[in-house]
Amino acid sequence: MEANQSVLVIGGGIAGMQASLDLASRGMKVYLVEKTPSIGGRMSQLDKTFPTMDCSMCILAPKMIECFRHPNITLLTYSEVQEVKGSAGNFRVKILKKPRFVDLEKCTGCGECAQHCPVEVPNEFDMGLGVRKAIYVPFPQAVPLKYTIDDENCIKCMLCQKMCKAGAIDYDQQPETIDLNVGAIVVATGFELFDARKRTEYGYGKYPNVLTSMEFERLLSASGPTGGHLLRLSDGKIPRRIAFIQCVGSRSLKGGVSYCSSACCVYATKEGILIREHNPECEVYIFYNDLKVFGKGFQEFVNRAKDEWGVKYVRALPGEVMEDPKTGELTIWYEDTTENVTKNMKADIVILCPALVPRTTDKELAGILGLELDEFGFMKSKDPLFAPVDTNLPGVYICGYCQGPKDIPESVAQASGAAARAAEIIVAAGKEAH
Amino acid sequence: MAYEPRIVAFLCNWCSYMGADLAGTSRIQYPTNVRIIRVMCSGRVDPVFVIEAFENGADGVLVCGCHPGDCHYISGNLKAEKRIETTRKLVKLLGLGPERLRLEWVSTSEGGKFAEVVTDFTEQLRKMGQSPLKSENNPKVPKAPLNVQEVIKKAIAETNVRYCLECGKCSSSCPISRLNEAYSPRRTVEKFLIGLENKVLPTADLWTCLTCFTCTERCPSDVKFPYFVRACRRVASVDVKEELCAHRGIPMALARMMTNPKIKQDRMDWLPEGAEISEKGDLLYFVGCAPYLDVVFEDYNLGLIKTPQSVVKILNKVGIKPVILRNEKCCGHDLLWTGDLENFEKLAKINMADFKETGAKKIVAACPEGYRTFKEDYPKFLENFDFEVLHISELLSQLIDKGELKFDTKIARKVVYHDSCRLGRHMGVYEPPRKILASLPGTELVEMERNRQNALCCGVSSWLSCNKYSKGVQIDRLREAKATGADLLVTACNKCRIHWKCVTSEKLPVDPSEVTMEMRDLSVLVAEALKLM
Repeated sequence: MEANQSVLVIGGGIAGMQASLDLASRGMKVYLVEKTPSIGGRMSQLDKTFPTMDCSMCILAPKMIECFRHPNITLLTYSEVQEVKGSAGNFRVKILKKPRFVDLEKCTGCGECAQHCPVEVPNEFDMGLGVRKAIYVPFPQAVPLKYTIDDENCIKCMLCQKMCKAGAIDYDQQPETIDLNVGAIVVATGFELFDARKRTEYGYGKYPNVLTSMEFERLLSASGPTGGHLLRLSDGKIPRRIAFIQCVGSRSLKGGVSYCSSACCVYATKEGILIREHNPECEVYIFYNDLKVFGKGFQEFVNRAKDEWGVKYVRALPGEVMEDPKTGELTIWYEDTTENVTKNMKADIVILCPALVPRTTDKELAGILGLELDEFGFMKSKDPLFAPVDTNLPGVYICGYCQGPKDIPESVAQASGAAARAAEIIVAAGKEAH
Repeated sequence: MAYEPRIVAFLCNWCSYMGADLAGTSRIQYPTNVRIIRVMCSGRVDPVFVIEAFENGADGVLVCGCHPGDCHYISGNLKAEKRIETTRKLVKLLGLGPERLRLEWVSTSEGGKFAEVVTDFTEQLRKMGQSPLKSENNPKVPKAPLNVQEVIKKAIAETNVRYCLECGKCSSSCPISRLNEAYSPRRTVEKFLIGLENKVLPTADLWTCLTCFTCTERCPSDVKFPYFVRACRRVASVDVKEELCAHRGIPMALARMMTNPKIKQDRMDWLPEGAEISEKGDLLYFVGCAPYLDVVFEDYNLGLIKTPQSVVKILNKVGIKPVILRNEKCCGHDLLWTGDLENFEKLAKINMADFKETGAKKIVAACPEGYRTFKEDYPKFLENFDFEVLHISELLSQLIDKGELKFDTKIARKVVYHDSCRLGRHMGVYEPPRKILASLPGTELVEMERNRQNALCCGVSSWLSCNKYSKGVQIDRLREAKATGADLLVTACNKCRIHWKCVTSEKLPVDPSEVTMEMRDLSVLVAEALKLM
């Protein structure tokens, strides 16, 4: 049997990209499958990263380009895994390449089409805060920088076809199935947000000035809907006080998930500092239950937020947020557990830090692969201590948030681990064949 | 052995007691069956004195005061007259015979009259026979001593209290904590967990909880605080400075009396003319305390009795002849939530036996408390409580779905619906009442800022801790309802309406126009839309 020297990586976020680059640099062929039109994942949506306060896109974009340029990596964006057969050393995989209705070879990414497209829909990349056209790139640094027609919202007016000088628009594109033969598989599907609407007491979805942290991340970002200006989208008001509420759905034995999402305390601190940076007159309060900041340099980061930036921490999980319908001002009810008094506080914006949960589509993918999931829907490790990136299936490895709660550095480290484990299979299979 | 009636007599200090004294000093003979209690004025005789006298086995209660116009406090005796009239209705409902409660005017000079009254009353009671409530086992007699530590240990284990994260979400959700700084569910739980229960048990804290389930709804650790409170109330002190139980505990006394198997209530006067009910059948309608509440709160003119009347008429209209128990007992809700488990269990057993005898399979309640108690609590306390329990709103919304209930009268009103705690957060019945209201022709349904899971409590539960804080909650809720611009406040819970009517009948700290609005029971509104009421 001929040994297969290639690896399939599912998910084009930071973990999937890192695993792909590690494998590719060892001389292995990598197929990187990404469901959306561009690789980049969650990290591409972030404004800054903790605790170094790097511009997220600035450190991510080079990695994205590296994936794109690497001779050993084949990017399969806007594609999904449809079928997996075989076993370690020899998996036969069917990939569904969804039609973009744009010829990737011809599209130059000039954007003429989107300029003329008459359809505006909420922009997923901006968490629905901004708009995009029916023909779009998710964000300016997208890789590949090629346009995609969103079939669901396209009204087939053919304007883009008329405008495209490269003649890249192809309405007749059909879904395509690609057959691959790979020796190992790395799964890195990432996370989604717990639906904050379920905690009705905080009024998310009802009050326009109650946002999720991911929405707020876009609001702060220079590439976001306000161009990085910190203001309330509901009325354009410059906020004077912003409050964060932690553990919305996390650490909940009821009405959420019981685990700690692990990143929220630190990213709220980061966003708090960013607010103070944007506008020193805007007060920041972070309502927390326990500050779980256990990573390298994280406690120092929180200390800096308190001492240098004046971010205020209140040990309490608020019971309710209510809105004054006239002013849009929000009232937060909480019991200050250090003073033992039930109080309320007014704020212009309330930011909820929802639990980070495994993607709902992981269930389907696990079914296709034959992977086991744990009680929360995370991909199950073969052994939580000694084989965290291994699964119940030899030759299939997991990394990033789909394996369990973690932050960026941990995801990257784990991705390298998963890549190394995948490489072992390929090397072993190669030796056997000789 | 011959039966000798026992009469408890409350005599006013100024006229009647002197009159009795005169009978004595004048050597006028009268039966020794009377036990005299001197009160400063007949107006001092609270209905609970009468009710408790009967509960303790009195065969008759006599109240004597100054003649009208002679009251030393100007109008105390006239107040007594009104009060006794109302109390007599309760005595009638209990099936004791209204004649067992007597009010007489006896002046200082009427020693002879006093003797005549006592003689006559004694003879009358002899003829009537012993009070059915005369029993060796008074239900109010101190309960068997409980092991406080055991009760607390069990409560902690069963209500997830150990999972408390100390986050304060409960306290900041609690309607009372927001007004009363001294009260906090979190700190209450904390004290129990670190063994400082003696700092809580003798205080009003355990009696302050509205058991509205707002904290439970939001608690990330699923701590069931109201159940914890309920379990601990069994061993909490009732001897605290504040008045814990509103209406001096009459509702609890009435409920306790119903545990007596000999009681035969006379409670069916409300049944509308032409209404059809059955002795046996598939569906039993549990009327609940409406007949009693209608008497106790008759001054409020809330038409509380219209609820069961409406329900029966609606059921008849769709061809259902509900089973109604003529001697229906209390469901025990208030006893359970005030920690009187012994009497609650007695009532539960009696009710289950009564229900089974009718052959009913379904139990329908219009009262959220009864509904909760049958659906949630009875199955936990009783084996074989295998009835399907429905709230009237669930039944009606099923009938609307099937097309069996159609409305032809236009109710052109802007209606706001209040989720009572029991129906809403306790049982999760949020949509059926809204569906009914939305299907009434011409009705516009609006929502309060806090609705469904987040609805604010009406301010009092189980007749406990009616104080300035509960009044504050009531006013807050009414303002919220009024702010919607609705002209009719609808709820399925008569107790909510009683509490709001109570607060708006008093001197208000806000402009009355901000809080007063027309209120209606859900079933009554449906009956009106069907032109049945």
